[in-house]
Amino acid sequence: MKLADRLSRCIAVALCLYGVGGAARAETLKVYWNAGHAYQAYADVIKKFESDHPGWTVEWGRFQWPDMRTKLVADLSVGNAPDLVAEPGGWVPEFALQGMITPLNDFVAKDGKDLGYPQDWQDFSVDRNTIDGKYYGIQLHLTCATLVYNVDMLKEAGFHKPPTNWQEFRKVAIATSKRGKFGFAPNQVATYYTPWIYQNGGALYDSAANKVAFDSPQSAQAIQFVADLIHKDKAAPLPVAGADYEGPQKLFTAGRAAMILTGPWDVSPIKTGNPKLNWDVAPSLTEKQQATMSGGVSLFIPKTAKHPAEAWDLLKRFVTLETELAASLPNGMTMPRKSWAADPKVKADPVLGKFSQCLPYAVDSSAKLSLTGKNAAVQDLFKAAIQDILYNDKPAQEVLSDYAGRANAALGHK
Amino acid sequence: MRLLNSRKAREAGFAYIVLLPAIAYFLVYFFYPIGVELWASFFRGQPLIGQSEFAGFENYRQALMDPRVRAAFGRTIVFATLGTFCTLVPALFLAAILSGPIKAATTIRAIIFFPYIISFVIVALMWKSLLDPYTGMLNVLLSFLDLPTQNWLSTPSTALPTIIAITVWKDIGYAMLIYIAAIQGIPKELYEAAEVDGASPAQRFRRITIPLLMPTTLFLAVISMIAHLQDLSAPYLLTGGGPAEATRLYALHVYEVAFLELNIGYASALSFLMFIAILAITFVQFRFLNREVVY
Repeated sequence: MKLADRLSRCIAVALCLYGVGGAARAETLKVYWNAGHAYQAYADVIKKFESDHPGWTVEWGRFQWPDMRTKLVADLSVGNAPDLVAEPGGWVPEFALQGMITPLNDFVAKDGKDLGYPQDWQDFSVDRNTIDGKYYGIQLHLTCATLVYNVDMLKEAGFHKPPTNWQEFRKVAIATSKRGKFGFAPNQVATYYTPWIYQNGGALYDSAANKVAFDSPQSAQAIQFVADLIHKDKAAPLPVAGADYEGPQKLFTAGRAAMILTGPWDVSPIKTGNPKLNWDVAPSLTEKQQATMSGGVSLFIPKTAKHPAEAWDLLKRFVTLETELAASLPNGMTMPRKSWAADPKVKADPVLGKFSQCLPYAVDSSAKLSLTGKNAAVQDLFKAAIQDILYNDKPAQEVLSDYAGRANAALGHK
Repeated sequence: MRLLNSRKAREAGFAYIVLLPAIAYFLVYFFYPIGVELWASFFRGQPLIGQSEFAGFENYRQALMDPRVRAAFGRTIVFATLGTFCTLVPALFLAAILSGPIKAATTIRAIIFFPYIISFVIVALMWKSLLDPYTGMLNVLLSFLDLPTQNWLSTPSTALPTIIAITVWKDIGYAMLIYIAAIQGIPKELYEAAEVDGASPAQRFRRITIPLLMPTTLFLAVISMIAHLQDLSAPYLLTGGGPAEATRLYALHVYEVAFLELNIGYASALSFLMFIAILAITFVQFRFLNREVVY
């Protein structure tokens, strides 16, 4: 064979190899996720996605919520958006109003029937991700907080069932408090005070008047009730100031708090932190009404995502009933599908079943406020007001009225 | 003459070529961000990521009228001034002592310097754990000694002083090391002459060491003040700005306005105001501390 012939054959082979390599070129799908939700079930979904899409890699970034928010905003500002984002609630309307999220209507029109969206999702979980008929996010987890109590501490104080209203709650909290142990451990995060407000017939925001409602007498009475548990009854500790919400869970897990208000997110830390702890979940308290706060994670695709179609494909896999069951049962997380709540395995689970019972009366405090685009500013002022009452022991009504004035000025400001 | 000129021009050209990377670095990482920040500060909303509209000086007017901004600025000045003072004074004394013939001086210096090289995330986790009012070692120790326990980071009156103390604990080693290097540069003859004249150790320290360390003090005061005025990690990691906003420093306020409230135009105006304040404070420091002493 002549040298020229050999060379031309080599070039042809090289071109063929380049063609094959080019067809299966490497692509990366960037996903932002909460560090505490990196369940094995989701890792399995990602593994399957990668095997179904040869050449694709899912970059599964896991962050704490505040860090993720900082990274997301910074990435959006330099045109380096992720393909899929898991958010803690309230971000979807906020970013959608700024035109930063891809509406999912075309995807839902194509795959919604097979997926069961939106029919199989709890209605309010669809509403909180919908603006003017456009779906901007799909709910991944749907949670609510309710009363979690130490069975042994209550028994020791002579109570064989958990409290059902404020008067009983106060009695139990005082009776279970002793040196180094507290009847109730309140959280330093302001959202944890909304259940008390709702139970007393109050609200955080009045959408009709576009004014905050956290300064109403019902709200003030509710916050004062918690402040009095700390300062007058000495039945609760001052919450530890900080950036996290795990303080009460840690006290509870250590057997130093008889009652806390929390959601499914704390099930795993309590179980692994103290496997011998005898604890249970109770329905939320009823004062004027039975109520609590709702939470949960939604998934959205940023408008500047490089691979929206693949992101949707992965999103669909994360929210199947099969994945919901696989993620929820070992981790105690509650989910948004109606068929999940109806599943016999969920109903039979002693913890999950009880947490899922508070979903029907749970309130999403930020749903309507988020549509104003001022949710974060108002929530920040609400947080400052709550801390002013708790840490400075100031009268609730006076403080809330002062901060409500500032929050209403922020709402009125363009 | 012409030969000389062309040689000078060649040298200047070479100097500019050598300086080019540094100039490019400053243009890209210093002047460009300042320019973008200034531009963004004239818009209302999210000028870098979303919808925004031109607002002129409205963001600046709003910032100057905002009581939360004024409170955060006041708190930051207290934090930076006390932080700087409480770092430099003990650092100077430690440096003076550890420059002398002390046994195990190198080990003591290393122990004092060690916190400076640890990430603040680790420092915050460590101190949060030590200061936890219910499970922290410090309160366990106080209980053991029959002393009243404290809620260090969750009491509005003690939270800021606690954060200052932690920051000082972390930074003091660096200031001490710089002071030691400066003290070792002071000619020994000055001390010997003063000793011959009958000056006591305290007089020698006051009349020779402190005046000759003024350039070092100026350097440390300026960099410490600038760092403290922009400090975000301490309140962010230790208290989240609480309790009751007692530790909400200016940088944390700007961060929350930008990243949580998504009000990037307003946050840019707040940042630019701080930039101007830092320039002014640095100018004042140079005006009062820049005294060269020659013997």
